[in-house]
Amino acid sequence: MALFQIHIPIIDDIKAQGLVPTLLAKTDEAVTRLTAGLNVGEIRSVLRGDPPKRPNPRTKPHADGFWMHMRPTYFHKKVMPLYPTFRLGWLAVYFLTIETITGLVLMLWYTPSPLVAFENMQDIMSNVPFGMMMRDLHRLGAEFMVMVVLLHMLRTFITGSYKKPRQFTWFTGGVLLLLTLFLSFSGYLLPWDQLSLWAVTIGASMAEATPVIGREVNLLVRGGPDFGTNGLLRFYLLHVFALPLIAFIFVGVHYYKVIIHAHSLPPGDEQVGEDTARKVPMDTRSYFLPDVATKEVYWIVMWTALLILMVTVGGWHAPLEPHADSQVTPLHTTAPWYFLWLQGMLKLGDKVFWGVIAPGILVNLVFVLPYLEVGPSRRYIHRRVGLTIAAVSVVAFSALTYMGTPFYAVSSSADQEVVAALVPQTHPGPLRSTPFEQLPSGEYSATQWKNAPSGGLRELLELFQHELHKYDKELPDSEGIMIIEDWQIGLKKVTLRVLWNDGDNSFAQNVFIHQNSGYEE
Amino acid sequence: MTWRTAVGMLAVVLTSIVTAFWLINEPARMAEAAEGFEGRSIEAGADIFENNCTRCHGPQGQGLPGLAPGLNIPEMFDGARLAEVGWAGSLHDFAYATISGGRPMPSAGTTYPQRMPTWSQEFGGPLRIDQVRDLTNFVLNWGLAYEQGVNPTVPEVATIPVESVGTDINTPELPSGDAAAGEELTTTLGCVACHIHTDVGPAWLAEGDPNGEGIGSRAATRISASEYTGTAITAEQYLRESIVLPDAFVVDSYPPSTMVMTYGETLSKQYLANLIAYLVTLK
Repeated sequence: MALFQIHIPIIDDIKAQGLVPTLLAKTDEAVTRLTAGLNVGEIRSVLRGDPPKRPNPRTKPHADGFWMHMRPTYFHKKVMPLYPTFRLGWLAVYFLTIETITGLVLMLWYTPSPLVAFENMQDIMSNVPFGMMMRDLHRLGAEFMVMVVLLHMLRTFITGSYKKPRQFTWFTGGVLLLLTLFLSFSGYLLPWDQLSLWAVTIGASMAEATPVIGREVNLLVRGGPDFGTNGLLRFYLLHVFALPLIAFIFVGVHYYKVIIHAHSLPPGDEQVGEDTARKVPMDTRSYFLPDVATKEVYWIVMWTALLILMVTVGGWHAPLEPHADSQVTPLHTTAPWYFLWLQGMLKLGDKVFWGVIAPGILVNLVFVLPYLEVGPSRRYIHRRVGLTIAAVSVVAFSALTYMGTPFYAVSSSADQEVVAALVPQTHPGPLRSTPFEQLPSGEYSATQWKNAPSGGLRELLELFQHELHKYDKELPDSEGIMIIEDWQIGLKKVTLRVLWNDGDNSFAQNVFIHQNSGYEE
Repeated sequence: MTWRTAVGMLAVVLTSIVTAFWLINEPARMAEAAEGFEGRSIEAGADIFENNCTRCHGPQGQGLPGLAPGLNIPEMFDGARLAEVGWAGSLHDFAYATISGGRPMPSAGTTYPQRMPTWSQEFGGPLRIDQVRDLTNFVLNWGLAYEQGVNPTVPEVATIPVESVGTDINTPELPSGDAAAGEELTTTLGCVACHIHTDVGPAWLAEGDPNGEGIGSRAATRISASEYTGTAITAEQYLRESIVLPDAFVVDSYPPSTMVMTYGETLSKQYLANLIAYLVTLK
């Protein structure tokens, strides 16, 4: 009698059928289990776009599998083209995924402390293979995500898809919009450079305007009177933990509601007041497998290719300004672009009204919109007022965004503006981007720009002269002088001097330029 | 579906090729980026040096005699300075540690009247750690010139004049001074490093004085005051005495032997005349 007996069934199969047929059969079996119902042949058939067998084996993964049970088995043919959805909701989830993956990679090299955060960024860009690409993808994906979510909301409004029965879906979408904005905003601070510190400082200064508890809200957000160790840690934890967690939950709720109610059909395709999206006759069904799945693969490939090409051959790179310095406010600092409208509103007057009350009302209007606007028809012809309001809002937000930029109603002195045109404080700018060897030492007058000894210098002096002309009224009888000195090996000191009133008044600024600093690109 | 397959495959191939090239170039790109950050660090350090260090160490780090040692000198980079102070670590550590902590006690063999202040926030100074690092990179970048055998151009006014004026307040007789040149000397010689006591500028101006008097007026009245211990009988002599013999008379509330004692040796007749010509005009 044997003490124990080992029986390996596959050996019996190999003995009976041979090695290769057995391995093929086992692989097929494993694939069928992993896909919750599709074998290799069926997957190839899906990818080829063959019509399904009867009964359709491709509905099984939706019934039995975890991931596919979240996706519908079929869609209405009418929502399959680019219009009416423009795939914007799908794209938002795509970018959320990209942000999560690249963000997790970046987390490996990042410590949320003002002592090392900036150095970490430099290391990611100069000492981690593909580190800069990950950072660029993360930043670019964030910009796209904000744009896509905003456009998704606009599209949902235009097609009237927020109307009954999808009011709550819209509501959760509003939450997701705010989460997207704050996810992007909280990530803005983490590089701890001048750009991030001051953009976030401006954004957070709105908190201070909160009536009655402004001081407390401000302390809570910044972790102190100014951003420092505590503020950075708070924004980091919001960015990598709290906000993503809430966002994932709301994406789940939002998408569940989308599936429950099905995608709304184009407004003209159903009777006024009816919602027929869930009643999908057999002949108008477009099955997830193969139609939607292959299209999604295609979109993932195309968008990922676009992102990677943009940050490589496209030359798009996330900016990194000098180390954050709470003592030095760069001229022309702005909030991130999606909060410029808020900065524009603040220029209209009272900080409490335009910074807190008015935006608060606007945000709340978004949330209650489907419960206030209960007109039964989704057709464009019946919604002239609503669509006009949407158009006016887009124009108004664009105008406010423009007003938020330094081009509108920012009073700084003309002499500083002239110098800042050559050496801006929010990005490298023309002087730093000029090749080092094109800055021969000497003293140059902007009026003599035509005689400059190098092409780069000629362009700089011409710009200098052009800027002085722009401020002829503020700077009468002005003259621009640029002095370039060899300061160390590989280091030049450039002094920009603006003289006006025939030399009675002057303003000067020094800039040091190193030959390896690599601003030009 | 076929055109999508073709375009999709093309995108995958294209992106893979680009990514492969990116991978091949990544070590070179990273090295260049690292050099770039070091260059920017030197730029930032130059700015910090200009704003904080030039008053004592001179605009080009050549040092100011009697006030602070040179940094842009061969001894700094050939090991002589490290040996002199008995530093066992690297030059980088020496520079970083000295900037961070300052010099609370005099270095071996030096008798500078002022101690170097602490700079790093770690030890209560004003600069962040990254700024101390930038400053260190800038200072050590002078070493490149010595490695390559290039002599730095040191500004003419800061070099020690051949014939010194001495410490007698009557002889030799001074030539006529140029007040404008004297004003410039107060910066290049490092006077303003210590004499900035007011929000409006150097202490010899009238603006910061409680009685609204410039040093020219103060000099004229002090020589006749009862507590005056010096030998000057004119305002010009008083100023000359204050510069070349600082301890002859110390104004009440200031400790003695605080000021640099070596100006008698380091100043020429013309420089001293220029300085006095400037200071007497400050009424």
